[in-house]
Amino acid sequence: MIVIMRMLRGTFWATIFVVALIGTLRLTSSAQTAPRKKKPTATSKVGAEVPATNSKDLFVDVTRAAGIDFRLTCGSKEKLYVVETQCGGAAAFDYDNDGWMDILVVDGSTLEDYRAGKCHPPRLYRNQHDGTFIDVSAKSGLNFCGWGYGVAVGDFDNDGWEDVYITGFHGSALYRNNHDGTFSDVTAKAGVANADSWGTSAAFGDYDNDGNLDLYIANYVDVDINYLPKFGDGPFCQYRGIPVNCGPRGLKGSRDRLYHNNGDGTFTDVTEKLGIDPESYYGLGVEWLDYDKDGCLDLYVADDSSPSLLYHNNCKGGFTEIGAEAGVAYSSDGREQAGMGVDAADYDRDGWPDIVKTNFSDDTNNLYHNDRNGEFTDVAGAAGIGAISIPFLGFGAKFLDFDNDGWPDLFIANGHVDPQVEGQAFGVGYAERPFLFHNSKNGKFEEIGERAGPALRRKYVGRAALTADFWNRGREDLLMTNLDGSPVLLRNEAPMPGHWLRIKTVGTKSNRDGFGARVEITADGSTRYSEVRAGSSFESSSDPRLHFGLGSATHVDAGVIRWPSGQVDKFGPEAADQELVIEEGRGVIQRRSATKAKR
Amino acid sequence: MLRTLALAAIILVGLSCLAAQAQTQAQTRQQVLQYLEAGRLPDAIAMGEKAVSRWPDDPEIRHWLGLAYFKSGQLEPAREQLERARDLNKQEPGARFDLALVCLSQQDYSAAADELQDVVKLTPSNPLAHVLLGRSYLNSNRSVPAIDEFKTALRLDPAIRLGHYHLGFAYASLGRNDEAIAEYRTELQRSGEHPEVVYELGHSLLEAGKHEEAVGYLQRASELTAQNPDIWYNLGKAQVLAGRAAQAEASLRRAMELNPHDPSPHYQLARALEKLGRVEAARSERERFAELKRAQPATSGMATGRDHK
Repeated sequence: MIVIMRMLRGTFWATIFVVALIGTLRLTSSAQTAPRKKKPTATSKVGAEVPATNSKDLFVDVTRAAGIDFRLTCGSKEKLYVVETQCGGAAAFDYDNDGWMDILVVDGSTLEDYRAGKCHPPRLYRNQHDGTFIDVSAKSGLNFCGWGYGVAVGDFDNDGWEDVYITGFHGSALYRNNHDGTFSDVTAKAGVANADSWGTSAAFGDYDNDGNLDLYIANYVDVDINYLPKFGDGPFCQYRGIPVNCGPRGLKGSRDRLYHNNGDGTFTDVTEKLGIDPESYYGLGVEWLDYDKDGCLDLYVADDSSPSLLYHNNCKGGFTEIGAEAGVAYSSDGREQAGMGVDAADYDRDGWPDIVKTNFSDDTNNLYHNDRNGEFTDVAGAAGIGAISIPFLGFGAKFLDFDNDGWPDLFIANGHVDPQVEGQAFGVGYAERPFLFHNSKNGKFEEIGERAGPALRRKYVGRAALTADFWNRGREDLLMTNLDGSPVLLRNEAPMPGHWLRIKTVGTKSNRDGFGARVEITADGSTRYSEVRAGSSFESSSDPRLHFGLGSATHVDAGVIRWPSGQVDKFGPEAADQELVIEEGRGVIQRRSATKAKR
Repeated sequence: MLRTLALAAIILVGLSCLAAQAQTQAQTRQQVLQYLEAGRLPDAIAMGEKAVSRWPDDPEIRHWLGLAYFKSGQLEPAREQLERARDLNKQEPGARFDLALVCLSQQDYSAAADELQDVVKLTPSNPLAHVLLGRSYLNSNRSVPAIDEFKTALRLDPAIRLGHYHLGFAYASLGRNDEAIAEYRTELQRSGEHPEVVYELGHSLLEAGKHEEAVGYLQRASELTAQNPDIWYNLGKAQVLAGRAAQAEASLRRAMELNPHDPSPHYQLARALEKLGRVEAARSERERFAELKRAQPATSGMATGRDHK
């Protein structure tokens, strides 16, 4: 009998059962755990041209040494409500025009403080040119009081000084630079309060090429702070069967806004007129780019749990939303994704800007290759950035050439929105390490974060991610914000980086920042393409100066700038390893060499 | 003397009754089992039900009765009997194992995992228990311990059927496609051309961007399992990405025939038709895609891009 029992519950019966169940198990499992992707193994070979990482860390955390002592507040540690999950805006910009990138970090709030009117103003750190920063918030006039989220930087009044827009919950604010280290709140006069909306990312761009920067604000969900949906209550408040904060699905979306700059210090809300975001999707990431290179800025918006939007600029003051037709609205299977951060760069050097978008865990990030015919193809899988992202929830995303080899690499800040996932054996964590993808120059990337030093092996609840050459060394550094924690200032220490060239654009007929200018340089017989912008990633604004890695090239043979006004300026040859200040219509007006800044 | 004899007789009668009863109980167990073995499930159930009312604390009879219910598709009574059998003999792994099978059939993966955790404690060298525990973990979103269980199963029995398939699937659920592909290839070498393994290998190759190779395996999977719309969809998608838009159209239309409510083939076909320059047809597919999407209400708070198709 024992033998029969074994037969019944052992090899025979159970084997039949297991085989018969395969299909059911597979389908059920996939419905819960989703797809499949590729991850380079820990033992995968370092490519010959990947910077040697054994001898030296690629990025070093210098936050404390640099004097950054900010700690981000964003509701409760438990993240019981969706408003507590999306904070962390940051910007790198030169607010005092001393030629050095300063840092602005936006603070959130708590339910109690917000209801009580207690302020959590942003922090502005001035670059002291010696590797350190000093907190100048108190006298800056950046007195935003509310629940802050993102930040956009641009010279909206073309006076040569960068202005600041801070997005918030039911109230955003525009601060005009007073040229003396202070700012003034001009929100009411400018008419850009984004009232009653929860703004997340925002970005300046001149969509009608009238020489004035317009402003796009991604708005997220429409909730009443006093009647927030109850944690874990209902199907929209669950993740993999555990209770979590609710949304965004199940909550009303908030319509994005586009403000047209009238050129007199005021803006006009053209959202309705131009048919922006009529379905009120859950907006999170924004980027202006000229994907079809027709000289008119298009706009890509990453939406959470709803289709992402690509607005094609018809060069006549209007847009047509073509996300689905272009292949950037959905996943490669036509499914909505939880889009968070976006960036664009010509990663394969075919002369056209491609788009990266981060998404939720259980999904892959997208790398939309520009097919040069108005369509994009998601090549994340083939490029090696897709599968690895499945257990990670991506937020900020920035292309950068950290080793100056002339090929854009990619940094992605990861961090979940639900602390409850921790310890669930899902293979998904709340705090997660960021990704550093090195461009292998063949259409593929290799993720090397775990070999890039302890700062990138550490886990964070990452949100914003931005790039800047904080020390004017000709290297792109990184800043990432961290929910309920300190931002992380990552100094680029890649050994033996290549040569470089940086370009600061000064518009005259075009907007003063030169946002939207398309730049091509030729070195060593090959051409690199880039566009001038500041706003991208997630709630972030990066160093607006264009940075080109040159590899072994010691000079640039030729360059051309196509300004939004239609003006075309040519320059070159120019020596490598310097910053060129190029003014529209005049060409190179200044040359700055790299600085040996103190650490 | 007489009193003593009478007492002895009573004791003997009692003992013989007890022996008879024990024999009857054992015979009944044996009979239920024989019915079960012979596939005479109604007989097994009828006898088993009578037996459990007579011997309610007999774990084996409840076990066999539970199995008879299970094999006849009656999952709830099967689970009840097997839970009673388990409780009556906590050190016996068999009832727990079979109870786990019932739980898996009911898609109650957490309960199945609980039972199987006890089974592997009681019989740690049972490779099938480790496989099933791995599947229970995987289906309750615990991919990391699932991998450990599949590896243990393969260590105990390197030839265990579909062990590499399950391990590959767990890797794939975490996006570890290279490892998944390696496991699927091993499984194909060991088990021959199992349709599910062929499909999963094709799917992982597709996700890894190895489009041409993916087309080959998905094509073969579509021949092995011609009625699975997901296979046709993924074949069509791979063909689009491999630059074979014209071939993709036929595959995607087959996917639509098999599952008319799925928006994804229409999205993919629109992409293929755009590449073929058939702009109006592409627009029509996008409209159909949008219609189907509107008909599918959201079911969770956040979108995770795609379920595994």
